[in-house]
Amino acid sequence: ALCSRLSSMRAASSCTNGQTGCHFLSLANLFDRVIQHSARMHGISNDLHSEFELYFLPSKNQIGRVSRNCHTSTILTPNGKENAQRIAREELTEVILKLLVAWREPLWHFHQNMAQHREFNNFSSNKSLEMSEMVHELRRGVQKVVEKMQMLGVINSSLGNLGSPEALLASDRAEWRLMNDYDLLYCFRRDSNKIQNYLKILKCRIIPEHGC
Amino acid sequence: CSRVVDMTTLGPHFTDCISRDQETFRCWWSPGSLQNLSSPGALRVFYLKKDSPTSAWKECPEYIHENRECFFDANHTSVWIPYCVQLRGQNVTYFNEDDCFTVENIVRPDPPVSLNWTLLNISPSGLNYDVLVSWKPPPSADVGVGWMRIEYEIQYRERNATNWEALEKQPHTQQTIYGLQIGKEYEVHIRSRMQAFVKFGEFSDSIFIEVTEIPSKDYTVPLTLVLIFGVVGVLTVIMLIVISQQQRIMMILLPPVPAPKIKGIDSELLKKGKLEELNFILNGGGVDGLPAYATDFYQEEPWVEFIEVDEEDAEGGDKEDNYNSDTQRLLGLPHRNIEGFSAISHPDDDSGRASCYDTDLPEHDTQRLMASLLPGQPEDNETCLDAPASETGEKPLIQTQIGGPQTWVNTDLYAQVSNVMPSGGVVLSPGQQPKIQENTSGSERETQKGGKQNEDVEGIKEQKRNEPQFQLFVVVPEGGGYTAENNTQQTSTPPSTSVPGAGYQTIQPQPMETKPAATGDANESPYILPEPSQPQLFTPVADYTVVQELDTHRSLLLNPPPSQSPSLCQPQHPLKVPMPVGYVTPDLLGNLTP
Repeated sequence: ALCSRLSSMRAASSCTNGQTGCHFLSLANLFDRVIQHSARMHGISNDLHSEFELYFLPSKNQIGRVSRNCHTSTILTPNGKENAQRIAREELTEVILKLLVAWREPLWHFHQNMAQHREFNNFSSNKSLEMSEMVHELRRGVQKVVEKMQMLGVINSSLGNLGSPEALLASDRAEWRLMNDYDLLYCFRRDSNKIQNYLKILKCRIIPEHGC
Repeated sequence: CSRVVDMTTLGPHFTDCISRDQETFRCWWSPGSLQNLSSPGALRVFYLKKDSPTSAWKECPEYIHENRECFFDANHTSVWIPYCVQLRGQNVTYFNEDDCFTVENIVRPDPPVSLNWTLLNISPSGLNYDVLVSWKPPPSADVGVGWMRIEYEIQYRERNATNWEALEKQPHTQQTIYGLQIGKEYEVHIRSRMQAFVKFGEFSDSIFIEVTEIPSKDYTVPLTLVLIFGVVGVLTVIMLIVISQQQRIMMILLPPVPAPKIKGIDSELLKKGKLEELNFILNGGGVDGLPAYATDFYQEEPWVEFIEVDEEDAEGGDKEDNYNSDTQRLLGLPHRNIEGFSAISHPDDDSGRASCYDTDLPEHDTQRLMASLLPGQPEDNETCLDAPASETGEKPLIQTQIGGPQTWVNTDLYAQVSNVMPSGGVVLSPGQQPKIQENTSGSERETQKGGKQNEDVEGIKEQKRNEPQFQLFVVVPEGGGYTAENNTQQTSTPPSTSVPGAGYQTIQPQPMETKPAATGDANESPYILPEPSQPQLFTPVADYTVVQELDTHRSLLLNPPPSQSPSLCQPQHPLKVPMPVGYVTPDLLGNLTP
């Protein structure tokens, strides 16, 4: 059910005569789709991580070690419910986009690596490909949501630089290359959960009446 | 991954760390097999929050010693940040790396609350039913803000069974259980977990579902019987109605197509081989002959037009004997001759007449003229119009004027009107000469001026003797709507046995139009309509022909005229095929080429 590409969300807007209720409804629909997409992305990352553990059997619980190696650790993210609710909408949106942008390239490389490994069966290889594509599409979807929010005046247009999120990550270009595959999967699993969570919080802050 | 646990030398360890709402979490420990550490305070909990490289171990923010539990409140809880916990004794630190976790991975939501069920439906067999189970999310989980996204799993089993049936996990707060059996009691409970995670919360308390048998079957059987009997009864009544009213229904549904028939003539005669009888009858002979008086006979036929002569006019005025006889003949004219004429009904009202006629023409003059136009039998007082054979030689020429009432007299034969002149005259015979028309017109005018009738008769008679042909001028006030019927009437005229060379034409009386409305193409019919500007365009018209036989379409096939081509069409449209004149079947029309 979540197979619909985010690009199909372009046609979601049927409110042409400026009804605000209709616009908010279409914004809620956009949010729902994005959230569903992120949930699916997180599910895949979870599966891949478990599978990786199964295949490669890390000897110990590597949580402590790994968490410092995530290349997205430099991105400041709210770590609690209150924090997530306290920060501004624009800031939360910016965090989401930053995370999505940061994972585009590493996941693509991960998929390329996985395609060459014989230990990974086709199932996992398909999942890694799907995961890397999902990140890209989820980012486009979130950008559309941002545009819609800006159009509706929900958030102010101070996020001008979100059009080119690559500018946000000017600093950490190559840090992700230091991660091994397992670390990458672990880090992405965590970050995809963050993205999912932030999106849901953002939606329920802006449009609480539709399915929160 | 599995851990080998040696229960005998198990030291103090953490049993579990759980978060219920992703905002706080708790950890429980056990002293292990070393009982001397079981007292409260003997073991202390330390945790490390790896949110920065310089983080340090800290002690448990809140102890609950009776549970051996360490509680981390919201201020000390951060999600997505690794925690490590350890137990410390007096001088010993019991640390296990497996005790590192992130909060989102240890979330086990509370079970939902307010679990209840409603009956959805019962299967038609009455053995199974469906139930809708609904609940509310756990109050500890903040679903409204979106902080927690929970999916639920329902399990049910029969009262005394051992295995639970699990339904598919889904995030909504209601779900349908299908296929429960009536009479059995079921136990249902539910649990929840975070979406895309693996750890479930506790099960809720069970609810029990039972539906006993519903005694509704008793009502269905008699209802079915009643319905069946009712339907059968209605069908029987309908059948009775249909059978009793069969004829009428057949009339309504399939109205009979009127067979072709001629009034007074048995349709049997129209079959092949009975032409003699037909001719006899059509001539008026026999009991079955057509009725004598045209007007009476055709009283109810609106499409038949008669040229009626007013009786009072006939009596008034200074009439000659000839004239009287003529008019009487006219009055007593058998209707059978009407078939040879273009019968025009004389309407009592003036409808239609004003446009066609000269209104200043007195009626009686016209009649006198009419009488004078019987050259054939002016002295012949015979009124036996049913013997046209005896009156040979000359045919009555009848002229009517345009403006006057339409009168015509035919003393012996059927005078088929073959053409209508623009001046209003009707050409009866073929080969109508224009000068005859003019002459007669002139003579008409002369008679209009009140000449003696006898003289007129004589004058015209001479003319007529010169011409073996006759003209009948008939003016039809109405349009050509009646032409078809007139044609068919005309075609059924008996053969003129007396006048082999008689040139009678059937003329479609159409004063104004130039095309017959009945037939499709004026140019192709054997009837010529006089054009107003060409009064002299008369091609020889076919003779009064004999009905030879009937073809398969029940159309009368007449003899082709011996000498003339049966073309009454305009000169530029000669017929190629010798055609039966006087009657053209629709399919024969196609053979007529311009």
